[in-house]
Amino acid sequence: MSLRRVGVLLGKEFVQGPKNFIFIWALVAPIVISLVVSLVFGTLFSEKARLGVVAEGGSQLVAIARGLPSVTTREYSTVSEMKQAVESGVVDIGIVLPLDFDSSVRQGEKTEVTAYIWGESLAKSRTILGVTIANLARELAGQKAPVEIKSITLGDEVSIPWNDRLLPFIVLMAVFLGGLFLPATSLINEKGKKTLQALVVTPTTMGDVFLAKGLLGLILSLFMGIMVLILNQAFGAEPTLLLLVLVLGATMAAEFGLVLGALIKDFTTLFSTFKLGGILLWAPALVYLFPQIPEWVGKVFPTYYLIQPIVEISQRGGGWPEIATNVLILVGLDLLLVGVVMLVLKRTKQHAV
Amino acid sequence: MNLRIIGALISKDFSLFFRNRFFALMTPVGLIAYLVMYFMMPSSVNESLRLGLYAPATLPAFGQIQEEGLEIEAVGSEEALREAVTEGKYVAGVAIPADIMERLTQGQKPQINVYFASDTPGELKDAVGLVVRELAYAQIGQPLAIEVSEKILGRDMLGMQIPPRDRLRPLLVVLLIMLETLGLATLISEEVERRTIQALLVTPMTVKDLFAAKGTVGVILAFGQAALFMAIVGGIGRQPLIVLAVLMLGAVLVTGIGFLMASLAKDMMSVMAWGVVAFVILLIPSVSVLFPGTTTGWVKAIPSYYLVDTIHRAANFGSGWGDVWPNLAMLMGFGLVIVWIGIMALRRRFR
Repeated sequence: MSLRRVGVLLGKEFVQGPKNFIFIWALVAPIVISLVVSLVFGTLFSEKARLGVVAEGGSQLVAIARGLPSVTTREYSTVSEMKQAVESGVVDIGIVLPLDFDSSVRQGEKTEVTAYIWGESLAKSRTILGVTIANLARELAGQKAPVEIKSITLGDEVSIPWNDRLLPFIVLMAVFLGGLFLPATSLINEKGKKTLQALVVTPTTMGDVFLAKGLLGLILSLFMGIMVLILNQAFGAEPTLLLLVLVLGATMAAEFGLVLGALIKDFTTLFSTFKLGGILLWAPALVYLFPQIPEWVGKVFPTYYLIQPIVEISQRGGGWPEIATNVLILVGLDLLLVGVVMLVLKRTKQHAV
Repeated sequence: MNLRIIGALISKDFSLFFRNRFFALMTPVGLIAYLVMYFMMPSSVNESLRLGLYAPATLPAFGQIQEEGLEIEAVGSEEALREAVTEGKYVAGVAIPADIMERLTQGQKPQINVYFASDTPGELKDAVGLVVRELAYAQIGQPLAIEVSEKILGRDMLGMQIPPRDRLRPLLVVLLIMLETLGLATLISEEVERRTIQALLVTPMTVKDLFAAKGTVGVILAFGQAALFMAIVGGIGRQPLIVLAVLMLGAVLVTGIGFLMASLAKDMMSVMAWGVVAFVILLIPSVSVLFPGTTTGWVKAIPSYYLVDTIHRAANFGSGWGDVWPNLAMLMGFGLVIVWIGIMALRRRFR
């Protein structure tokens, strides 16, 4: 094996890669999916009521409303702009505060507020916004709350937001999409075009080719894993440990990719295999998606040993003691897969000669 | 045009389509996956804040405020209230002290305990706090010199909100019909690459026959799946003819896009590459249905807007021909133009 030749082959893969759909897809898909998940679970399932305000003469009410965690407040400069926002559902209710609203409220003078309500807004949003507006006006008028409210949380179950539950799935996708598909499609492509046979009649060995393609998958997979963790604000704690786990996960992805690439003849078979066998890769994500599923179910699948340390570090504040066993199992799986890669490499050599 | 030749071509294309393991698998798997996705989404919208109330003292204001969006239910004891909140029966449980009225009249500030389940989001806790505080203001009769005049913009959907899964329907339909287009584009591009199309054209088959057959295959594949999906998810219950008509026009549109992709692509991989671009663009209008207010007027420049908007209005609001005909006309116009451009582009490639 020649490191120089591996380097040349790897350089070629990186130059040719951006022309390949899978390369682009492996880069774009995890980021897009990560953003879509944030949008869907930050917006679609958010029940936060949205208030629009036009304060014709300026009002402190807007600043107070912005500080409330129960509503999202947007200020508009004109009534027509706000009406448009209400009609399209940007806000649930839009209110127009007249000139001298603040002084009228403080002096207890009767003042009229026009409220535009989006027809599709939920009844509870209307109620929450109604009491919010009243509370804001009372605060502005200097009225003191007649009661003290004590919030008591029952039970010690920690609620896990959907964004967090979906993180393992997104990380797996980021690591495996590029890590697995790039080496696999690259090998299949070379086999299809018969360039693999052409390569091995030069001093380049099949091992050099496999190593270069594996490294390509590993590097891209590692890069995407880090990107997705950064995008999800999950890379802050223990970055060195996270990096170690990601390297091991990316190695596993690249090894799977090399094995599939060596054994499969064409793209359609690869995609079909992935559609059916993909469940083995994604299954551990389901354990985190639905905490009702017992954790031992996840342990049956190899990718669990990549995901558990990442979730432990990034979401539960764990360190090396909590992840050591699973990381060692991951190392073991990687070594086992190295053996499988060596076997298919031998088989490919025999077929290529 | 020779109908017998077209029929033979259609039957050959279907056989080739289902011989491709990827598309043969993706067609039923895709449909099942979208159905699972649809049925996993919430089927109803919880419009009300449901509060449990334990009040040993009589508080008229708490009873009077029971209107839209707020349900207050009396509970016999504080223990029962806590249990009901833990079980998720109520969003929050409000426990009023027995001496609240005395303390309020004495000008003291009594404490009200509000119980929440551990998974209640912070913003909801804050909102319930505001509601309880406002009820207390109402109880002591502290006036607020504000008169609010309300104006509803758009159709008032109070009590008949559209569940998230029905908002998702247009997006799933676009995904379904686009997926079939990838199959059609792959079939054509592979035929062009293998030069079987040139071979076909030396037979009595004309170019018109060829496009009629390919177009029919594309429309059947796209329309068939989308119509089946809509039928299963109850999307054609309110305005069946409009929904079927718009799906047919949508199928024509994506068939045109399929022709365009086939004119640019060389194999399945490049069809998928171009397909992703088309997918992303055509899916944008669905976002405006899922997340109202996220897009502006420019979205109307995307042809699928007229498909998505019509499905949303007809299936979710029961809009009739009078409301949706401009959308259908625009979709037909876009569809015909794109099919024509697609045919022209493919003809150039045949030469």
